[in-house]
Amino acid sequence: MSGWRRLWRRTELDRQLEAELQDHLDRLTADYVRTGLPEVEARRRAQLEFGGLEQMKEASRDVRGFSLLDDLARDTRHALRSLGRSPGFAVVAILTLAVGIGTNTAIFSLVNAVRAGAVPYEASDRLVLLWGNVRQPQVARRGASLPDFLDWRAQSSSFEDLAAFDGQQMTLLGGDEPERITVEFVSPSYFPLLRTTTRLGRTFAAGEDLLSSPTPVVVIGDGLWKRRYGSDPRVVGQSIALGGGPFRDYTIVGVMPPGFRGLTDTAELWLPFSQWAPVDTMHDRGARGFPVLARLRHGVGITVAQDELHRLSGLLAETYADTNANRSVEVARLDAELFQGLRPALRTLMLAVALVLGIACVNVANLSMTRLAGRQRDTAVRRALGATRARLLRQLVTESCVLAAIGAACGLVIARMVVPALVAWSPIAFPSFVTPSLDWRVALFTTVVSLLCGVSLGLVPGLQPHALRLVDALKDAARMGAGRSTRRLRDGLTIAEIALAIVLLVAAGLLIRSVRNLAALDLGFDPDTTLAVFVSVPRETAGLDGPPRPVVGISALLERLETLPGVTAASVSSDLPFDGRSSAQFFVVEGQPPVDPQDRPRAYQHRVSPAFFRTLGIPLVRGRTFAEQELTRTPTVVVVSEGLARRFWPGGDPIGQRLRLGSDWLTIIGVAGDVRYRRLRQGPDVDPDVYLPWGDSNQHLAIALRATGPPASLAAATRAAIRDVDRSIAISRIAPMRELSVRQASPARFLMWLMGAFAVMALFLAAIGIYGVVSYLVSQRTSEIGVRMALGADRRAVRRLMLRQSAWPIAIGLAVGLGGAMAVGPLLQSQLFGVAAFDLATLVGVAALFGSVAMLASYVPARRATRIDPLSAIRTE
Amino acid sequence: MAPPRSDLPQGTLDLLILQVVALGPIHGYGIAQRLQQISRDVLQVQQGSLYPALHRLENRGYLAASWKPSDTGRDAKFYRLTTKGRAQLKQETANWARLAEAVQLVLQAAGGGAR
Repeated sequence: MSGWRRLWRRTELDRQLEAELQDHLDRLTADYVRTGLPEVEARRRAQLEFGGLEQMKEASRDVRGFSLLDDLARDTRHALRSLGRSPGFAVVAILTLAVGIGTNTAIFSLVNAVRAGAVPYEASDRLVLLWGNVRQPQVARRGASLPDFLDWRAQSSSFEDLAAFDGQQMTLLGGDEPERITVEFVSPSYFPLLRTTTRLGRTFAAGEDLLSSPTPVVVIGDGLWKRRYGSDPRVVGQSIALGGGPFRDYTIVGVMPPGFRGLTDTAELWLPFSQWAPVDTMHDRGARGFPVLARLRHGVGITVAQDELHRLSGLLAETYADTNANRSVEVARLDAELFQGLRPALRTLMLAVALVLGIACVNVANLSMTRLAGRQRDTAVRRALGATRARLLRQLVTESCVLAAIGAACGLVIARMVVPALVAWSPIAFPSFVTPSLDWRVALFTTVVSLLCGVSLGLVPGLQPHALRLVDALKDAARMGAGRSTRRLRDGLTIAEIALAIVLLVAAGLLIRSVRNLAALDLGFDPDTTLAVFVSVPRETAGLDGPPRPVVGISALLERLETLPGVTAASVSSDLPFDGRSSAQFFVVEGQPPVDPQDRPRAYQHRVSPAFFRTLGIPLVRGRTFAEQELTRTPTVVVVSEGLARRFWPGGDPIGQRLRLGSDWLTIIGVAGDVRYRRLRQGPDVDPDVYLPWGDSNQHLAIALRATGPPASLAAATRAAIRDVDRSIAISRIAPMRELSVRQASPARFLMWLMGAFAVMALFLAAIGIYGVVSYLVSQRTSEIGVRMALGADRRAVRRLMLRQSAWPIAIGLAVGLGGAMAVGPLLQSQLFGVAAFDLATLVGVAALFGSVAMLASYVPARRATRIDPLSAIRTE
Repeated sequence: MAPPRSDLPQGTLDLLILQVVALGPIHGYGIAQRLQQISRDVLQVQQGSLYPALHRLENRGYLAASWKPSDTGRDAKFYRLTTKGRAQLKQETANWARLAEAVQLVLQAAGGGAR
């Protein structure tokens, strides 16, 4: 019979048991009657001899083996009743646990959402990305070039297939307004590798991806199909106009199913990979820049593939020494790539919420110890009536499990509310396919966590040597909490709670300092007065097709923008700081000894109009900016950054010196201040920047406006002015420069806010914990204090007595916590900026903050001790 | 005065119950009475431990029980031995005999030394 059926039959079995025992009693009574006793006396004798009916039933139930389930139901009812009798305790404990479990559930559901299995492609555990890497001296990712890719594909055997892909922005023409969309250039094998196919039409054929005969075909995404074509089923075969590629008109050959946005997660249109770059670039083995998607063969491990590609790159390096020396290939799991930014941050948060839960549990344990001490008489009575210690312990554990279960239920509600907000506010974007939900894994996690909480919360107070022991309970009924071992346990809990809170406070403090450092960082330009406007112009305007043209179109636009009210300067450039567009190129300085080809210096180049430096507020340290007549397609002059000047002419004057970029020799005419172009956190040996004159050969322009007021307020007027000048210009984005640079700091800020919130929670909980302990000690020693005061102790002495009791645990907790913070600090290192994981100022600040909060939390109840009226205190004894 | 009564050695109650039930279906009160009679009032079964023991044996499948009309006119729960119980009884009896014999031997040897 299964346990559940037995439970279900419980009442029937109980009824039988009762009948059986009653039968026995009746027979015994009848026997006594036969010996001549009167009926009443006989029954009394029988009952006396037979013993406690209830105890016997209990013992028989234990034997029946389903008593656990049976008791569970009874204990739960009892626990609910007993909690109902102390609603204050119940509410505080449940809320504390709800916060602890809820935050854990919330963060875990995010962790769960970025687990390996969350990648939405079939058998995604075998999908990998291949990155061409270079060692110089650190390893850096560079991507693959087409010849490399073809060699990998032909000569490796670890993979089912490989596909080149790369995301880019293109302009969708033919609508009311030109529209910037993300497109992916992909090999025909891309779709089969992802195990996906079109909902209409087909994907690319191998013959459509040949360098020798580029074919103007595209596959469009479901979003574009609905938006532009109103879900027209006859769209296959129609043509679509795009700006920015080798052709203008393309034939639609297929439509992807809804939800498919490619590996970039934003793509709306796919083109054959052979059109990724001009044909000569495609043939250049050194022109690296795209990742490769591959699917491991069944049974081939990632290390096997990695080894094979290492061997292969060794062979390629021998054959093509000039382009492939020091090159290798990195095999990276796709899920690790997709969730790259999220996982470390979530790990940190998981640790933080675990600490919060720890503090919450300690608090509740403290509360239930106090409560247990108060119920000492109850315990004594139950022991005397035959309940075993184990039975009472089980009752305690059931009670705390009931608390934890209700807490977990409330926690799930909290998590449900918090998770969508976290996803929405997270500065590190969650991939669109990630939808954190409270699935069975999260439910299991929450169940396990709350069970652990419940069991340990019941065991810790219950396992004190004196708790639940009959003799102690009777002897020391009212004062059990003052026992030595109880004191020690209580102090231990307080120390643990304080230490956990300190760790969180230090982490929050370090992050706050990092964020402040990031915000105060000198970027080298003025982010608060500049508006960035990113636009794309048609090829004709850009002058890509015809002979070089003077810069009429753009300068007219700049002139128009400069007349806008509130604008003091306008410039155009190929890119702007933090827009993620700039690319680096090797350069050679005239008169320098030749260097190893792998050690060639690289510089990030930017083409800028003369007003660029003034508009962004970049100081010109030496020399001058470009003159009008120097703005040509093939530049002859260059402005270099201070970093470059320092490196090659330390202490000297670089003006008039020459350097070669690509094939052009350029004369240095100016030195501009260093600008943080790409990262807020950059190494000391970052590649420098060089500025070339604007040559008007760019389709994608970055316009900068210097504003007198808040830059964002210019956005509408700017948009209107651009449309006014030329309707063919597509505006992809308008944003204040501060917004672009802040984006880099926002993960740190987000983490700071969350960690700060957790730290405040921890501080609050720890303060409540200390307050509770001291209050309890005061209440325990009321009569003692009364005696002391009656004997002449003054208020200050009493207060000192009470404070001294809590001072030690607080001090030890502080010390342990600071030690713990130093141990945990290195885990945070990657999230910190401009502050060491061991930061004395933060440690001291946290110690001071926590010390004062702790003193306040213990002072308030300690003061109450001094208000005790000696007479009434003694009388209570 | 009642004769001195002995407490049952640990674990022997089960054996005694099995032995009594082996004589034929019997209810709980009957078992208690029978034990007391057969041992000539030497063995006094604690009423409090009889029923848990009965239910334990029933749970293990050594005893089977059914409700039948009894001499009082009401139904009573009658226990009888199962095949498994019979085997268990045989084994326990053998164990007990061995143990008793061993104890006897030790007592004799020790007594001989003292003489």
